[in-house]
Amino acid sequence: MITEQCIEKAMEKAEGAQAYLSRSDQTDVSFENDRLKSVTTSQNTDLHVKVVCGGRIGSSRTTDSGDIDGVVQRALETADFGSPARFEFPPFSEGQDVPVYDEKVLSLTPEAIVEKGRDMLKIVKEYNGDILVDAEGSASRSSIEFANSSGMKYSSETTGFSLYISGQLVRGTDILFAGDWFGWRRHEIDHEKLAENTVRYFTWAEENAEIGSGDMPVIFTPQGMSVLVLALQLGLSGKNVFMGSSPLSGKKGEKIADGRFSMADDPMIKYAPGSSSFDGEGVSRQRLHLIQEGVVSNFIYDLDTAARAGTGSTGHGPGCGFTNMVIGEGNCSFEDMIADTEKGLLVHSVLGLGQGNPISGEFSVNVQLGYVIRNGKIAGRAKNIMLAGNTYEVLKRIDCIGDTAEWTPGGLLTPPVKIEHLSVVAK
Amino acid sequence: MEDALKKANAEYADIRIEEIETSSVLFRGEELDSVNSARTVGGIVRALVKGGWGYVVFNEIENLPEKVKQACSAARLVGSGESSFAGTEPVEDAVEAELVKDFRNIPLSEKTDVIEEYNRIILDYDEKVETSVVNYHDSFRKVMLATSEGNFIQDERPDTGVAISATARKGDNVQRGFEGIAGTGGFQVVEGRQKKAEEAAARAVDLLSAPPVTGGTYTVVTNPRLSGVFAHEAFGHLSESDFVYENDRMQEIMVLGKRFGPDHLNIIDDGSKPGLRGTRKYDDEGVRTRKNYLIREGVLTGRLHSRETAAKMNESLTGSARALDYRYKPIVRMNNTYIDSGDSSFEDIIRDIDLGLYTLDMVGGQTAMEMFTFSAAYGYMIRKGKVAELVRDVVLTGNVFETLHAVDMLGDTVEFPAAGGGCGKGGQSPLPVGFGGPFMRIQNVVVGGRQG
Repeated sequence: MITEQCIEKAMEKAEGAQAYLSRSDQTDVSFENDRLKSVTTSQNTDLHVKVVCGGRIGSSRTTDSGDIDGVVQRALETADFGSPARFEFPPFSEGQDVPVYDEKVLSLTPEAIVEKGRDMLKIVKEYNGDILVDAEGSASRSSIEFANSSGMKYSSETTGFSLYISGQLVRGTDILFAGDWFGWRRHEIDHEKLAENTVRYFTWAEENAEIGSGDMPVIFTPQGMSVLVLALQLGLSGKNVFMGSSPLSGKKGEKIADGRFSMADDPMIKYAPGSSSFDGEGVSRQRLHLIQEGVVSNFIYDLDTAARAGTGSTGHGPGCGFTNMVIGEGNCSFEDMIADTEKGLLVHSVLGLGQGNPISGEFSVNVQLGYVIRNGKIAGRAKNIMLAGNTYEVLKRIDCIGDTAEWTPGGLLTPPVKIEHLSVVAK
Repeated sequence: MEDALKKANAEYADIRIEEIETSSVLFRGEELDSVNSARTVGGIVRALVKGGWGYVVFNEIENLPEKVKQACSAARLVGSGESSFAGTEPVEDAVEAELVKDFRNIPLSEKTDVIEEYNRIILDYDEKVETSVVNYHDSFRKVMLATSEGNFIQDERPDTGVAISATARKGDNVQRGFEGIAGTGGFQVVEGRQKKAEEAAARAVDLLSAPPVTGGTYTVVTNPRLSGVFAHEAFGHLSESDFVYENDRMQEIMVLGKRFGPDHLNIIDDGSKPGLRGTRKYDDEGVRTRKNYLIREGVLTGRLHSRETAAKMNESLTGSARALDYRYKPIVRMNNTYIDSGDSSFEDIIRDIDLGLYTLDMVGGQTAMEMFTFSAAYGYMIRKGKVAELVRDVVLTGNVFETLHAVDMLGDTVEFPAAGGGCGKGGQSPLPVGFGGPFMRIQNVVVGGRQG
């Protein structure tokens, strides 16, 4: 194995070493403006070597898996100036199995993906021929191998398949975008449902509706939940907690949200986009509660951050990244949430998220796709509206949590959530 | 490469191969967080048949004829119509980077020393400073482009920068100050920037006691850096013709000659302007960059093109097809976008504002065609014609078709800040771009924030 050769080479000089190699093949099919536009095949190689030499960490990467001597040499050179190593590379562990490979993905030829794309296009165009449609399908296969100097090694094969559709409708100078996406590691995707969802978003937006400014109830669709989750992602990262830049630093065990709100990181969901048995540092993964019934229960750590913070890696290395973030389901249907709202806003996608000071929880975003709710019904598209608040205050004002979680781009599985009131500024 | 292309069974094909060397150093708080170096070699072949494209992306630079063949057969699978593709003058050229201080010859220890000082300045600034992130990066890209027309271009593209961030905290109140410096001229770009580190720390601390801005509609004055972001976000993206060339409705909206703003408004994108971050002699399709007026005297006069969109719309090439790196196809992007100067001084601009906002720098911007939003790093209230108290969480939003008309005053000097960061589109981010402009005044801007 190439990674074992890297370790052998590195250990001629280093006290410890780790090597990670990924190779992937991917086919992308792209439709633009109602037409099949391109087919792309990509082959990528990434070899990453980390060493501990003279008590310091060095690291280097290359796209040339034949250049073992070169990449090891450069990693050793960076170790001369690197940060002190406080962690130990993990020893061998079996890890928990989770299925991430579906042989049938390999049979998804460009022609087969083109067919799915055409089906999706047809559904949206039948609803309204003026909508210009873009669509993408992507099938991939990757192999990963890992080894370190403490005896840990693993290899894994993964597959991936995703479909995306987006429509654009121009009326006067009014431009509307809406679409849907799904991706996972299996070959089955209900592609027609993605197109039907897209049609639903356009149908709701056939009229524009006024809402005025003020505090009002706001319902976030699963995709819209990214507005609230961004601050939690930053705040629960062990890196930010250890540095003190997270508002959750020192708040383990404290209640920060409504008692019905729970969130976990779950790498053990079958065929989910972020699932795997081990992280990129050879640490075995498992489901981890982050917020339980409103109380902060865990932060995520990689080897280096954990060692600095005096705790253990949670299997989120390197870099303290989440696998699949899961928000617990509640008991309220999406339909009831809307029916119970006299006057409010439904938020599906926003512009400007993450600008400003996201870690503080503050957000101030332009509602890109949102709807006015009046008398328990969707009255039309909400335009030129800013939504502002603070995630940590908002999570204490949850009105109800939806009973059905859905996957959204970025590895988040969440139900819709209704907030009692939020500040809305309309022009 | 040329030989491989000779066998291309397509209307057009090209091969782009890149060698990229990068290094980076990152401090977080007291700690040197990481030091990295990477070497990347990769390429992309593309082929055009009957309006359909086939692409092959690879790391192993061998057997190019086979990859060309693969791209051609993918293109044949896709194509069923007619191709539009603008030709260029034949060109063979090698562009060498001009670096005052070549960062490839600077040892990592020296790079570390330079930013360690900035990191120290932040941490020692005030006890309210909780932590810092100082991130140095450099990259040297050698790009080789060969086309089936016989063009061959070698281009060297260096980039160096440092991103400086200070975090201050008082209880649950966490604020950040951010400064970015980046440029193509060499290692000296990041040297001697102690003042930037101090400014970042001071801003984070000052913002702790600044109130959030009250949401509402204001007369807004932008500083040159934010004016540049405005030009980029609010208008620049709309002039990228891949949004327009196959979209009849958009063509009606974006018809050349249509008035978009007042007579004094000029917006320009120029990839040939020396010394800026988005400057290069050729774009990633081998087209010469040039100065392109997007809006001249308030009227739509041009747009940005790739070879495909230019041919389809029967307009001139602009040198605007750019790819983040070898993994990506070239798409229509901005190079350096700026608003040209007017004739007002800053004092003139704010004198008659009774209640307004002076907004500075930016921490991000995003656009969905006609809607745009961007975040100022910080702002000051303007009260009775004077700059007053500091405010935080300033997010501006608007509709480009209304907002450009509301630009009623422009400062008399255009500045191009040596800012870091970049632009994202189509999954290709961050692409280095330049921004610039004068002080600018806009009436009736919606500012996000809590209701007063």
